[in-house]
Amino acid sequence: MKHIHLLYTLLFGVAVLLFFGMAYPHHLHYQEQYQLFLFDSTYVWDIIRLPGGIADLLGRFCTQFFLFAWVGALIIALLLSAVQLLTLRLISVSGNGAGVRAVFHGLSFVPSFLLWLFLLDENALLGGVWAVLLTLLALWLFVKLPKGWVRRIVIIVTIPILYWMVGPNWNGSHYHRYPTVFPTLLYAAWLTAVALPLLLSIKRKVKSEKNLSKQSDRGRAASAVPASASTGRRQQILHFSLFTFTFIIMMMLVWKNANFKAEKVMQYDFMACHQQWNRILQTVNAEKPNNQIGVTVQNLALGMRGMLSERLFDYHQNGLLGLLPDVERDATSPMPTAEAFYQLGMIYVAQRTVFEAQESILDFQKSGRCYKRLAQTNLILGSYEVARKYLTALQKTLFYRDWANETLPLLGNEEAIAKHPEYGRLRQFVCSDDYYFSDHVTSDMLERLFLCNTENRLAFEYLKAYYMLTGDRENYAKLLLHLQKLKQ
Amino acid sequence: MKRNILHCFQILAVALLLLSSCANHPDVPSTSQKANSLPAIYPDYCNVTVPCNIAPLNFMLPADEFQECVARLTTPDGLQQTYGDGLKVQIPESEWHAMLGASKGKSIKVEVWGQKQGEWLSFSPFEIHVATEPIDEYISYRLIEPTYVAWSYMEIAQRNLSSFEESQIFNNEVTCVDREKGQCLNCHSYQNYKTDNMLFHVRLSNAGTIIVNDGKVSKVNLKRDYTISSGVYPSWHPTEKLIAFSTDLTRQAFHTQNHNKIEVYDEGSDLILYDVETDSVSVVSNDSTLLEVYPTWSPDGKFLYYCKTVPLPEEMHDKDIRTTFPKIQYNLYRRSFDVKSHDFGEEELVYDAVSQDKSATLPRISPDGRYLMFAEGRYGCFHSRHEEADIVCIPLREDSALVEKSAALDFTPVNSDGYSESYPTWSSNGHWIMVASRRDDGNYSRVFFAYFNNGKAEKAFMLPQEDPEHNTFLLKSYNRPEFMVEPVRISVDEFSKVFDK
Repeated sequence: MKHIHLLYTLLFGVAVLLFFGMAYPHHLHYQEQYQLFLFDSTYVWDIIRLPGGIADLLGRFCTQFFLFAWVGALIIALLLSAVQLLTLRLISVSGNGAGVRAVFHGLSFVPSFLLWLFLLDENALLGGVWAVLLTLLALWLFVKLPKGWVRRIVIIVTIPILYWMVGPNWNGSHYHRYPTVFPTLLYAAWLTAVALPLLLSIKRKVKSEKNLSKQSDRGRAASAVPASASTGRRQQILHFSLFTFTFIIMMMLVWKNANFKAEKVMQYDFMACHQQWNRILQTVNAEKPNNQIGVTVQNLALGMRGMLSERLFDYHQNGLLGLLPDVERDATSPMPTAEAFYQLGMIYVAQRTVFEAQESILDFQKSGRCYKRLAQTNLILGSYEVARKYLTALQKTLFYRDWANETLPLLGNEEAIAKHPEYGRLRQFVCSDDYYFSDHVTSDMLERLFLCNTENRLAFEYLKAYYMLTGDRENYAKLLLHLQKLKQ
Repeated sequence: MKRNILHCFQILAVALLLLSSCANHPDVPSTSQKANSLPAIYPDYCNVTVPCNIAPLNFMLPADEFQECVARLTTPDGLQQTYGDGLKVQIPESEWHAMLGASKGKSIKVEVWGQKQGEWLSFSPFEIHVATEPIDEYISYRLIEPTYVAWSYMEIAQRNLSSFEESQIFNNEVTCVDREKGQCLNCHSYQNYKTDNMLFHVRLSNAGTIIVNDGKVSKVNLKRDYTISSGVYPSWHPTEKLIAFSTDLTRQAFHTQNHNKIEVYDEGSDLILYDVETDSVSVVSNDSTLLEVYPTWSPDGKFLYYCKTVPLPEEMHDKDIRTTFPKIQYNLYRRSFDVKSHDFGEEELVYDAVSQDKSATLPRISPDGRYLMFAEGRYGCFHSRHEEADIVCIPLREDSALVEKSAALDFTPVNSDGYSESYPTWSSNGHWIMVASRRDDGNYSRVFFAYFNNGKAEKAFMLPQEDPEHNTFLLKSYNRPEFMVEPVRISVDEFSKVFDK
């Protein structure tokens, strides 16, 4: 039972893993899509030259694995468990009373739980967790060193290095994507992780001084009394009770603070990004979306399966904004809209929408998802050298490399592009008729698109849906007549 | 133990020093096949004329065709040196400047070999002509993604043209107090190529125009009740503490099927004159029916050149500008200026672009006052986004303000076919032309230089980079390149202090 605390850590780790893997996977996908980790010396240098750069770099490195939610969940579980174990180790070094250890064992989970709460925010950056972990590692190094001048010198030398490693940098990384948001939970976790062992150490010092005075008075050391078997059982019960108490309280807090609404929206975005049209329809059939992104994705999936006009009113609608929302200046909402423009064959508009989304990422990072789509749109439009730029950058990534390597030979290869199931089809849908795009969807826009290529079934579906949503019966009838003529 | 560690450090330091000072001087292939063509090097430096103080013209062969590249450079005194590391030819600065020194007024012969599928090809040699005239030591530009509406990080940077040293003048992060609103930087400008008197604009968050007056930095608001906007496109008077600005109500429209992608146009634009010493703004021109933009002073400061539209046909008067702006075209005009009274004379037409169904923008007069250079496209004022836009240069006349297109110089070597060229500028000695061009890929602007002497322009070449592949990776455009004879010495921190006041 000596290592019972490891069992609690394991239980905690499994809880974190299951939470992020099952209840919060799309938050991890969201995190991944708003960064682009490059295996490139300039990229690495630009990050590590700033205070907090090492923690930031490690965070970004780990975040690229969030493309696979379970791997991301495992990484978070390992990191949070490591924080807890290090906190506990520091507590153990600082406090030697068994009862005190039992109390503080429960409390050693607090920093990790606070970090868990911090990571519920989709804009919280994983570098923050690394910053706490690196700080704890440094503290552990300090306590491991023998007391005296060596330790003091190491502390003096290490503190500036530690600052450079974990920051924070007020003008750069402060572990939240919004520069103006103060990540309170992260700092609370940081503080408790450092303060708990420190408090215990002070407590022990005071206690040992008292013991010394008692020793001199009574000639015996209170701490030298060996624990009996019944005391051991009591300690185990206390351990378990405190762990359970902390765990239940913290889990309640996690559940209460988790943003499952955002998770749902992110799920729709994820499914649209991966063109999982059937899965989208299954999801909307189970629970009809009532947010704009959900409705946009639902309509796109219906359109892709040729059911949009037929089943339009079987689902929640949000007027024309649910069909093709206005292009907003933020990083999230334009992405499903861009997917709809892309599938419709409005490639220039899709390109602009994705570009705007990427430029709106508040911490100035780039996005693997956006780079991929920018490469695709440039390829379809024949801007091969621009596409090459994005593909070359993606070749420096871990998970987009294979796709970039497969796509590069397509550049300039008109025959291969024409045969490509996606690029060839979308190239045919591109309307040669140039006009100025309004930020709002118009019937004129969809009419042009359909008339340019009457094989563009999605444009037809969207145009019909447009007339249905606006109640324009006259043009709806005209469209059907036009279609009949075409069939003849 | 300590001695061992010290010894290891010493070995490492020496090894690093050796590595950093070593250039790869490979052997020329012993056998090769003749290719009978010039090498397709990137950037294209074949038969260009370069300044005697330019940074090394590093280049490379295309990665999808070749495995290795070797180049042999021969100076007029017969000295030879070979370079090549993989596909790249990167010449150490000291060796390159020695070669330039030995070749002033003459040429460096360049022979290139490329290994393709295990076999070496030897290409026809080319020459790099070294002009006796130097180029200004510095340029500055804004580095920005070729954006639509949103933007992320941007900076105004300066580059030493004799080396690869690039440093930041300012960025949009350091004083941005509202990231969601964002901050935009633009229109850096210098008086007479010097940096003691300069400016740039900061828009949106913490907005203002940053003016450096005899080295002293201040932030001013150029918007007045009687102007349509604050100052936009600037031009410093060459001798006085006066800056001519256009004031613009700029808008954008987005194409659905056009490589130009964006139309930037003005709903209204006027000209103002800002007195730096008195912080006063006076209106130069504010015809509400016409658009005036891009002021620029003649080198003697006696004329203000600018662009102005002509009235639209009557049937278009009531139409939305989004439909009429392809019909909006600019001519070039000038007005005399009295330095003492600050009075402007009557308007004179300088170049009639509209009658040729063209639009002329961004005029610049050569430092000797003999040539007018501008960007010409089919319509509009934002030729940076017009793939048909080219640079035009016409000798000015002493007997008349008006110049004709028929007198235009042959600028074919400066322009590209089918890609936008814009923002032309003259070096302070008038022998080097700098333009921003999208010829590299149609989307990202790059800086190009061309030699100019006695009315003849030579082939343009790209701003050299230490890594010749740099521009293939760089996802930023070089915006508004400007020559400077000295660096901006005010640091980012010093600039940012004026935002605290």
